[in-house]
Amino acid sequence: MAQPISRKVVITVGLLVAGFAVLFSVGLKGSLVYYLTVSEFMDPARKTDLGDNFRVNGIVQPGSIQKSQGAPGARFILTDGAKSLPVVYRKEVPDTFVDGAEAVVEGSLGADGTFDAVTLLAKCPSKYEAQNRQTNNYKKPAGRDRPTVPTDTGSPSR
Amino acid sequence: MAEFGTLCLFLALAASAWAVIASYNGWRAGLGELVLTAERAVYATWGLVVLAVLSLEYCIFTDRFDLEYVASYSNRALPKIYKITALWGGQAGSLLFWEFILITYASLIVLTNRRRNRSLMPLVVTTLLGVSTFFLGLVNFLARPFVGLAFAPQDGNGLNPQLQNPFMAIHPPCLYLGYVGLTLPFAFAIAALATGRLDDTWFRTTRRWTILSWFFLGTGILLGGWWAYVELGWGGYWAWDPVENASLIPWLTCTAFLHSVMIEERKKMLRVWNLSLVIMSFLLAILGTFITRSGVISSVHSFTKSNVGPVFAGFLGFSLLVSVGLLLHRLPDLKSEHRLDSFVSRESTFLFNNLLLVGAAFAVLWGTLFPILSEAVRGVKITVGPPFFNEVMIPIAFALVTLAGICPVIAWRRASPRKLLEKIQIPFWALLGGAAALLLFGVRDVYAIVSFSLATFVIATTAMEFYWGARARQRVTGQGFGASLLGLVDRNKRRYGGFVVHLGFILILIGVTGSSAFKQEATASLKRGDSFAVGRYRMVFQDMVSDDNPNREFMGARLAIFDGDRPAGTLVPGQNFYKAGQNPSTEVDIRYTLRDDLYLILTGFDPQEGRATLKAYLNPLVNWIWIGGGVLILGAWFAMLPDIRDRRRDAEARLREVQSRAA
Repeated sequence: MAQPISRKVVITVGLLVAGFAVLFSVGLKGSLVYYLTVSEFMDPARKTDLGDNFRVNGIVQPGSIQKSQGAPGARFILTDGAKSLPVVYRKEVPDTFVDGAEAVVEGSLGADGTFDAVTLLAKCPSKYEAQNRQTNNYKKPAGRDRPTVPTDTGSPSR
Repeated sequence: MAEFGTLCLFLALAASAWAVIASYNGWRAGLGELVLTAERAVYATWGLVVLAVLSLEYCIFTDRFDLEYVASYSNRALPKIYKITALWGGQAGSLLFWEFILITYASLIVLTNRRRNRSLMPLVVTTLLGVSTFFLGLVNFLARPFVGLAFAPQDGNGLNPQLQNPFMAIHPPCLYLGYVGLTLPFAFAIAALATGRLDDTWFRTTRRWTILSWFFLGTGILLGGWWAYVELGWGGYWAWDPVENASLIPWLTCTAFLHSVMIEERKKMLRVWNLSLVIMSFLLAILGTFITRSGVISSVHSFTKSNVGPVFAGFLGFSLLVSVGLLLHRLPDLKSEHRLDSFVSRESTFLFNNLLLVGAAFAVLWGTLFPILSEAVRGVKITVGPPFFNEVMIPIAFALVTLAGICPVIAWRRASPRKLLEKIQIPFWALLGGAAALLLFGVRDVYAIVSFSLATFVIATTAMEFYWGARARQRVTGQGFGASLLGLVDRNKRRYGGFVVHLGFILILIGVTGSSAFKQEATASLKRGDSFAVGRYRMVFQDMVSDDNPNREFMGARLAIFDGDRPAGTLVPGQNFYKAGQNPSTEVDIRYTLRDDLYLILTGFDPQEGRATLKAYLNPLVNWIWIGGGVLILGAWFAMLPDIRDRRRDAEARLREVQSRAA
């Protein structure tokens, strides 16, 4: 009696695992996106094998934010110190989206060279950590000095 | 006070390390007194950690801005309640908080087991305090809460405005109580493996602790979703964000364990599997803490830069090696004593439920860690978007719900397919009826139809289980139906508590389905007197209002709400400006009803033109998620209450221990 039961179990488990594999590959196909710095994204030799969508990380260049009037959204410049990327975002911006914030945008490059972002995540710069860094090693070139990831939220803001 | 706190932390590290060494060597050499000093060292560690926590709170309350932690996460005008919660506002403080919860749990375990499980306890203490020593090492050397600044600023940076919310006062403690609690079954599992006492003692002793951790973890996840919903202002509650996923993964494996352990109790099967699930849950909880605290996934190329990253990875690797090593060592002793009697049985529904839950956990883990893996393998980070999680998790969720529906009507051991079909008839018609009704009312979303009709099915089978159980008891005892129902539930708290938990989940499923399939939104830029509409609601912009206090300044738009033609009060979505950090914070306003939520956001205001830009969401059925959460909490608490049978079993176990000691 034991034999057929275990065979049935094995078959069902096999079917489940196969189902998982199918779900996995189908699910992964459209969901993979490269996550790059501004410089890596603007490098003409960047990889394009995962489609036109990219996730780009940088700092919101202080003074570059132009909030749209009468509609949600903003235009701004995302920079990593070395390269700058103009970005347009057409939904409500998160509260943490301010000058100098670390931001992650996801979207694709428009024909006019502006990055059309469909998602925007931003993290506030932490004031004292930043001041400490300045007093301790202000000679460091600003470009490579990535801000410390603030660890103060349970979830990121969007 | 800062120096005192530093000293306490250092002494706590020494006491904790002593407890590990003493209890391990005491166990090896069979020296009861050495084990006793270890247990006293646990209490000492607890006292010292409590003093350290109090000193940090004292520094926060006395505005010691010369300390980096206080300057970064507090300010003079911060309300008192948030000065308390600032304790876990940053990395160093939250690691200290983790340790505080762990050592509190450990002390309670030592206290409640001072006359029980004496053969397991030395290694339980070794494991628990080993973890405690790791966290104390972190707060002593890598993430120090009492570190000073080179200068003393006039005022602090203030707690992140998004954390200044009542939910944020309870969500992190809840999540931490869950994460940390998973260490307890893990410690007992390790002790059982190391000593070779592999009977049911380890999981019976920790059963309530495990349900408690599972309950806190689940409640924490729900509160986190609720917080995101009312605070983050994007109209949703879950986004498959790494931090959210990190808490979901151990919760899934823990759910699997709570089910499969019942098979081990009944049939002594799945023993290796259960130990593995407990070990996995613990490792995933540590991983979750690490992901939450280090930001390793959300930032590009950050793994090598995070100072706690490599240490956490090392600790995880070490724990994994020890656990797997012990498990392999005991493998020959862990043979199942029984086999599955039949393919059609409740046991096999549990088996498939476990595979699905672990598969789900693996999928979420894979999607969450993919950026790290791709960076390690290909040198470039590739992220996995929400579509992956939705496409994988929705079918798994449907399969799990189907099993939850079949489970109550299928017999243990061997169910006759004919009887099963008979019992499932009414629920099956309920399912078809539900689907037909949905089609009739014009619902065309396939996911929604499947989800709602499966929900009807589960509710029907579960209700039948309560009904038939009560009827059977009525025949035996001759009592009325109500009394029989109460008696039935009271005699079998875990089982019926479990079914109540299932019903809670079904409500959550209904809420999630409704709010994702039928969400509506509208945006408008309004002058005074203008209106816009979403769904059945019309909103008329009346005027701007403002409010000022030392901590923050509020500005909002007042809107009159009309449900069709009926006035339905006013809503005031707005923005808070926190003076310390100069950050704006969106304050949404919501009209809650059981049918749907009207969710309003003020996205901009132009004072010259007197024009307000607003966004409105209509989120159908979303409140059923929180109501389901409430039902789940009730069910879980009920399942944790002691049963008559439990008490008898405990008494028998104690008797056996006394006898074996006498012999």
